[in-house]
Amino acid sequence: MRSGLSQAIAGGFVALAMASVPVQATPVISRDATLPIGSELNEELLNQPTELFAAEQAGGKRSYLFNLGDMLFSSASIFGGKARDAGMSCNSCHQQGASNPKLFVPGLSKKPGTFDTSGALFNAKADNGVFDPVTVPSLRGSKFLAPYGHDGRIASLREFIRNVVVNEFAGAEPSGQVLDALVTYVNEISFLPNEKMTPDGHLTAKASDAARRGEALFNKPFRNNASLSCATCHQADAAFIDRKVHDIGTGGYFKTKTLINAKFNAPYFHDGRYDTFGEVVGYFDKHYDLGLTAAEQSDLIAYLDAVGDADTPFTPNTVQAEVDELTQFASVLEVAIPARDKEVIRLAVDSVGAEWREVGENFPDRRDTSVEGGVAERMKARAGVRDLVLSLRQVAMAAEAGDFAEAARVYVQYQQTVATVTPYLKTAEQWSLYNPQVHDKHFTALRQLAELAK
Amino acid sequence: MPSVSHHSAPLRPKALAIAAALFSCALLSGAAQAASMKDGAKAYKPFIAENIGKAVAGAKEMQTAVKAGDLKAAQAAWIKSRKGWEVMEPVTGTYFGEFDKTIDPWPNAKTGYHAIEAVLFSANKTEGLDAPIAELLANMDKFEKKLNDKKFAFAPQKLLEGTANLAYEVGEEKSGGGESPYAATSIIDMQENVEGIEVAWKLVFADTLKKKDPKLADLIHERISNLEKLVGVADIKSMDAKKVHVGGEELAALMLQAAPKLGLKPFKVGDEDEGGADKPK
Repeated sequence: MRSGLSQAIAGGFVALAMASVPVQATPVISRDATLPIGSELNEELLNQPTELFAAEQAGGKRSYLFNLGDMLFSSASIFGGKARDAGMSCNSCHQQGASNPKLFVPGLSKKPGTFDTSGALFNAKADNGVFDPVTVPSLRGSKFLAPYGHDGRIASLREFIRNVVVNEFAGAEPSGQVLDALVTYVNEISFLPNEKMTPDGHLTAKASDAARRGEALFNKPFRNNASLSCATCHQADAAFIDRKVHDIGTGGYFKTKTLINAKFNAPYFHDGRYDTFGEVVGYFDKHYDLGLTAAEQSDLIAYLDAVGDADTPFTPNTVQAEVDELTQFASVLEVAIPARDKEVIRLAVDSVGAEWREVGENFPDRRDTSVEGGVAERMKARAGVRDLVLSLRQVAMAAEAGDFAEAARVYVQYQQTVATVTPYLKTAEQWSLYNPQVHDKHFTALRQLAELAK
Repeated sequence: MPSVSHHSAPLRPKALAIAAALFSCALLSGAAQAASMKDGAKAYKPFIAENIGKAVAGAKEMQTAVKAGDLKAAQAAWIKSRKGWEVMEPVTGTYFGEFDKTIDPWPNAKTGYHAIEAVLFSANKTEGLDAPIAELLANMDKFEKKLNDKKFAFAPQKLLEGTANLAYEVGEEKSGGGESPYAATSIIDMQENVEGIEVAWKLVFADTLKKKDPKLADLIHERISNLEKLVGVADIKSMDAKKVHVGGEELAALMLQAAPKLGLKPFKVGDEDEGGADKPK
């Protein structure tokens, strides 16, 4: 589930405990699973990458197209084949519009955070027979980062998104409004604010002295080619890019990556070969024979760390954040039902219903013996989620039958049910996976079972 | 004896089970009343007794196979026991929650079906299972004792909620491998779940609804058959997950619509707080 910066100020125990619980992987364990054993989608996040949207930053609101795009971004229904069956969506790889450093699919990933978009698993038609995984990029600031693709092969974001849906993940040809909505949403995803950097890419007084020394080095001409510096390609006042592709000795032409918020975009380079800024600086030092001392390398790393930072990179997930987000997702029905737009109604019901089910799974049922207390409250939370999902399903059934008046009536009932159910969810939150301690116990029990299975 | 007219196909074992249960019900209370939900709920008790018996028998076979170190026989017995358990799911949570969490806990590496499953099907061992199997049998024994208590009875309201809830759960995300991920037999779990839905529905509610709203009754019958077809595949990966998901939700939603026509409450969270949810109207 995904939450916005506006929800960053989360209450009580979640905020206090969030830093103490390490996020641990829970890979696929079953040969009966849709994805291969060992696959990791990194879905069980307590702390989610923070989302920030341009229109809201400017004091505006979320448009219908934005909400539709936001909802579709989390919808498996726009994909086909294994991706759809696995419940994957755009958000699986670009969590909250950022990257997914732990994403790993055996056969398609060389290391966590990389993925071969032209492998056979998700679309045999796109299989190019080459194992060439690339990093999953963050989508923050996408509207400034054209052309798209690591090698910049696609100029238009709309065309790029269509290619992802149809060719990479075997989805049906998306309608015009589906593409427009996704483009609207992605274009809204902003870079996160960073108090260490001015809007035109210079360091502020909040940055360290080492970072400041690194900034000077970043702009200093290379010793063997005075026409070049790091800043030649990574132009500070242009989102640290030059919109060009370059061959920097990594196996072809690849476009210049932004450095904004890049601290959270590891692994680095098109194929994710490096995990740290230290390795990146070391590579450039060697490749361009920069002759950097250890201290200079350290200063450059401090600079990259400063410009790549964010004030609030992660946001704790909470019940309220889930309810707010799903209310925004479902709001597309307010337009789609009167418009008799069956496509959007179907997509919204499937997507929001699936998201609610995920919320429900965060309230362990009585069979989960790793969780102590609150059984009645947890069961009520789960029953409440069931009520919401079934209420939404009735909206879709009415619409499919052509009875849009009934669909509208049931949608109002759904909204009332959200109001009724939310207090049950909040009451049970302390015994749910939104509580880091409960989360930890649950996943520890899962790992113990996995150990037993060895 | 009430008709099982929805069955146009030749009677399969589960249909025979329904027919047998209805027959015993008719002997007890007279054919004219056998179609009532109350009588259906009475007839449902022997069905559960029969299946907890199957779960126990499978567990005992598993115990013997484990003692003999026969891995294949132990795995087969685990599946057999599990079938008995899964077909009872309309009531395992609603009526036997205290045993659901000891017999079928998840995730739990010490006790219950899945701790045994992980060892038998993934570690491929029979060692170390004597205690968990003995505990499983002891908990099943407690389940049987509760069921066999003369005062114990199923009520239509709670049975409807359990049945609809199971339809909703059948539509849950199964991409991780489903309920039995180590054995990779989740499709069998689902097949038994759907059979459990069908038996509960036909035994307790179908005839009453047919009198009140034949169109809705037919729709529910059609949705159950549809789900049955969708899960009638070799494994989870061969299943159309999206259709199962939608099919499960639609079936549960239709059962919810049927509730007032059956004189029952369209259950919702909080009903239990009002103290009236389990009382048939």
